[in-house]
Amino acid sequence: MKRHEVGSRQRRANGRVARLRGDALSRILVALGLLGLLYLPAGEAGGEQIRLDAALDTPVMLAGGEGAFQRAFLRVALTGFEVAEGRRTPVNVAIVLDRSGSMQGAKLEEAKKAAMMAVRRLRSEDIVSVVTYDSTVNVLIPATRLSDKEDVYRAIRRIQVGNTTALFAGVSKGAREIRKFLDAQRVNRVILLSDGLANVGPSSPGELAELGKSLAAEGIAVSTIGLGLDYHEQLMTRLAVASDGNHFFAEAAGDLERVYNIELGEVLSVIAQDVDVEISFAPPVRPVRVLGRQADLDGQRASGRLNQLYSRQTKYFLVEVEVPAGRPHQQLEVAGVRVSYSNTITSTREGLSSQVAVSFTDSMAEVEAARTPRVMASVARQIGAERNRYAMRLRDEGRIEESREALLANAAYLEKSAELYGNRWLELDAQRNLEDAENLDEAAWQRQRKQMEYNQFEALRALGYIE
Amino acid sequence: MNRHLVAVFVLIVVVPLVIVGWLGARLAREQVERADERLAEVMRSSLRGFDAEIGGLLDERARSLRAAMDGVPRTSEALRDLTRRLPVAGQLFVVDAASGELLYPSLMDRLPASEEDFLRRTREIWTRHRLLPEVAGEGGAELGEAGPREGWYPWFWGDGLRLIFWWRDGGGRIVGAELDRLRLLSDVVASLPDTDPRAPGQDAGRIRLLDAQGAVLYQWGVYEPAAGDWPLVSHPLGHPLAAWSLEYFAAGSGSGGGWRGVLFGLLPGIGGLAVLVIGLAFYFYRESSREMRDAAQRVSFVNQVSHELKTPLTNIRIYAELLEEELGGKGDAARRHLGVIVAESQRLSRMILNILSFSRRERRTLELRRRIGVVDEAVGALLEQFRPSLETHGIVLGFRPGAGRPVSFDADAVQQIVANLLSNVEKYAASGRRVDVATEQAGEEITVTVADRGPGVAEGERERIFEPFYRPSNALSDGVTGTGIGLAIARDLARLHGGDLELAATESKIPRSGACFRLTLNCPSALNPSANLGDSR
Repeated sequence: MKRHEVGSRQRRANGRVARLRGDALSRILVALGLLGLLYLPAGEAGGEQIRLDAALDTPVMLAGGEGAFQRAFLRVALTGFEVAEGRRTPVNVAIVLDRSGSMQGAKLEEAKKAAMMAVRRLRSEDIVSVVTYDSTVNVLIPATRLSDKEDVYRAIRRIQVGNTTALFAGVSKGAREIRKFLDAQRVNRVILLSDGLANVGPSSPGELAELGKSLAAEGIAVSTIGLGLDYHEQLMTRLAVASDGNHFFAEAAGDLERVYNIELGEVLSVIAQDVDVEISFAPPVRPVRVLGRQADLDGQRASGRLNQLYSRQTKYFLVEVEVPAGRPHQQLEVAGVRVSYSNTITSTREGLSSQVAVSFTDSMAEVEAARTPRVMASVARQIGAERNRYAMRLRDEGRIEESREALLANAAYLEKSAELYGNRWLELDAQRNLEDAENLDEAAWQRQRKQMEYNQFEALRALGYIE
Repeated sequence: MNRHLVAVFVLIVVVPLVIVGWLGARLAREQVERADERLAEVMRSSLRGFDAEIGGLLDERARSLRAAMDGVPRTSEALRDLTRRLPVAGQLFVVDAASGELLYPSLMDRLPASEEDFLRRTREIWTRHRLLPEVAGEGGAELGEAGPREGWYPWFWGDGLRLIFWWRDGGGRIVGAELDRLRLLSDVVASLPDTDPRAPGQDAGRIRLLDAQGAVLYQWGVYEPAAGDWPLVSHPLGHPLAAWSLEYFAAGSGSGGGWRGVLFGLLPGIGGLAVLVIGLAFYFYRESSREMRDAAQRVSFVNQVSHELKTPLTNIRIYAELLEEELGGKGDAARRHLGVIVAESQRLSRMILNILSFSRRERRTLELRRRIGVVDEAVGALLEQFRPSLETHGIVLGFRPGAGRPVSFDADAVQQIVANLLSNVEKYAASGRRVDVATEQAGEEITVTVADRGPGVAEGERERIFEPFYRPSNALSDGVTGTGIGLAIARDLARLHGGDLELAATESKIPRSGACFRLTLNCPSALNPSANLGDSR
């Protein structure tokens, strides 16, 4: 299957960014605008390596007196490289399907079709396993090299509906199948589908997040697909985020095939795994907090981890720092960044490094001129997501009016930032907040909440999540 | 089909079925219980096997922890790094063995959130030195080489059971880890069997792993227990997961479940027996009803014959009597011969009358026709009829009349009764050589007694002689003719007449004192307006 580059990117952007609804046109336009942004020049390290971009939002700051401190944001961004057609990382995937009672009818049929479609996209060197769960778990197809797809299709077709939902057990068994062929040189992924509330075994978001984190440490990511309007969106997103997988909201059974396609597309585009990022801050610069993606702050060191990096996708960490004021024209070292990762295309472990410094000036104009829009855009996006989450909490507490006001204010903030930093993502976020503000009434909330959860995941995926 | 027969039929069918059913149910219940016990034994050892597997998982986890910590410097940095790299360890810790002070994580450092959480959770353990008594071993001995070198420490926090594994690392320190609870559960779940509803030979039950509160952590097996089901076997896991347990539900372990299987086994047996018994009952019913039909046919035949005989016989008797009158006083021999013809035809008449009466009695169409008359006259007329026959048998007849007032009574019935009694005297009591007949009249009740001096009636037969067709058989009466229905008819007629026929109790215990039959009749006086109504039965 020959994929036309632009078309596929647009498709991915469309799929991930624009759900085909009324505002489809504007979204397509926004997405097209994003194309420009995504066409990044070749990275520092050249060739088939990930690109490391560490920068401050204000690399030039106003000089100041003794004892004065200023706040700044350090962004460490990693971008996956392009990969030649036909070369890709072999895959070790466990497809975990919900066959509880609520999946009766079209839902299960569509899920089976989507699963078979996903298998169709895999090759004979890939490893696949299929696990179904209701109140018990059935390892339908144990982890096996994909030599005969027909067997797999047959088994999937025979899946039938059961009763309650042992989600934790389903994920656990899926992880076990993955472990049989766990390999740092493969993409190890559990793709979990659920349409309802987990009710057998550990069933709270916190518990599933804990499991996700533990699996991520092993190199296994869990992508979650929520089907319909009855699943526990918080549980599904937290599991995905903690294990560094993807999350999707499929409103109707007919959306499943598209969603599985997107997920498979991402799985098949992994170029690096076990990405360790270490940022050492040079005193007297002091890291204050890490925004978004989980990173441990220990004294002068921030360390974070990405499970995988996708081709032509950017993920980043954001650290707020305190910089003591310096004298004009003074250069101050802020941080040293070290990244190491497994390149799954070349099967080698590689490393990157970068230094970040700040300089001081008396001139405000110089400060303004030196501002880094892309970093500031990330910060704005992050803050926007934080505020959206807060508005969601307000709505959960029943404070509808306050929630609406918060969303509208957030939309305005994001609009302004979009203009300031020339960033289309922010424009998209602004529109989403506006839409959220219109759908806070009882009838629409159940669905809107899932959409918001997904949007936040989307935004924070590049940035991480907030506990 | 009369009710009596139906009742018997139902009884024959129902009683054996009930008995067999009850016995069968008891047997089945015992069998079910025994089977359950056997199954419980098997499953208990199966659960123990799973328990051992889980224990093995824990042991392996402990081993890999120790191996991973081997050679790692006990500094915060190195340990934090190790925690990040080890997916299975939750939070590592180091304790000074002598003082019990927590060395890592230490409150001296600036702690990441996860370590802060850990300290908060486990504060009780460190401040109250709860871990140390375990370490010290039995009796709280002084910390030293005497105590155990490693162990598990289960404890509860918030949502459930947590596990700490610790060991002495030789440097005067105790090192350990609080295992990532959910990761451990996930690995336990992963190691336990899954469920394939279509696999052949699957155990048709359900096994559940429960936490301390009894909530289901994981389950496998085809059978889905209903809300009220009880597990067949329950087995708490070994240390340190003793708060968790495994339960086994047998398929159909609900209140009716085990029974259903048994019942299905029992049903064919009972069904077969029911069919057999019903078949037999029907067979016997048909046989008996056939016999009854045959008997009815015979009775009706006899009836028919008697009817046919009656008319010619009546003619013979009447013409014989006419002839007797015509002859007047001429010809003794002729008179004697005629007398025999008359007597015999009278006797035949009485016999046929008896038979017809009996038949009517069977069909319940016996009727009385009362007329105004004098009892003594009727009795007297009958006695005259019998006199010649009695004389032939050598029996002297004595008559003491005492019922001379006119009353309403059925003369034919009275004569038939007395005739039957006298005929019996002829047959059975001829050896007494005497019979005394007496009548009494007291108000509306008339009593007629017929007493003989024969051998009397044996004690055990006093009631039986009144049964139809019953003829006592003893040395004296063998060879006696007769149909055995006389007394039955006589009693029925007596009762129909508002009275009764009894065998009077013998006054003396001397055998061979004879039998005395007492006939009582209810005869309203002639002035009674209801006197002429017919009684019928």
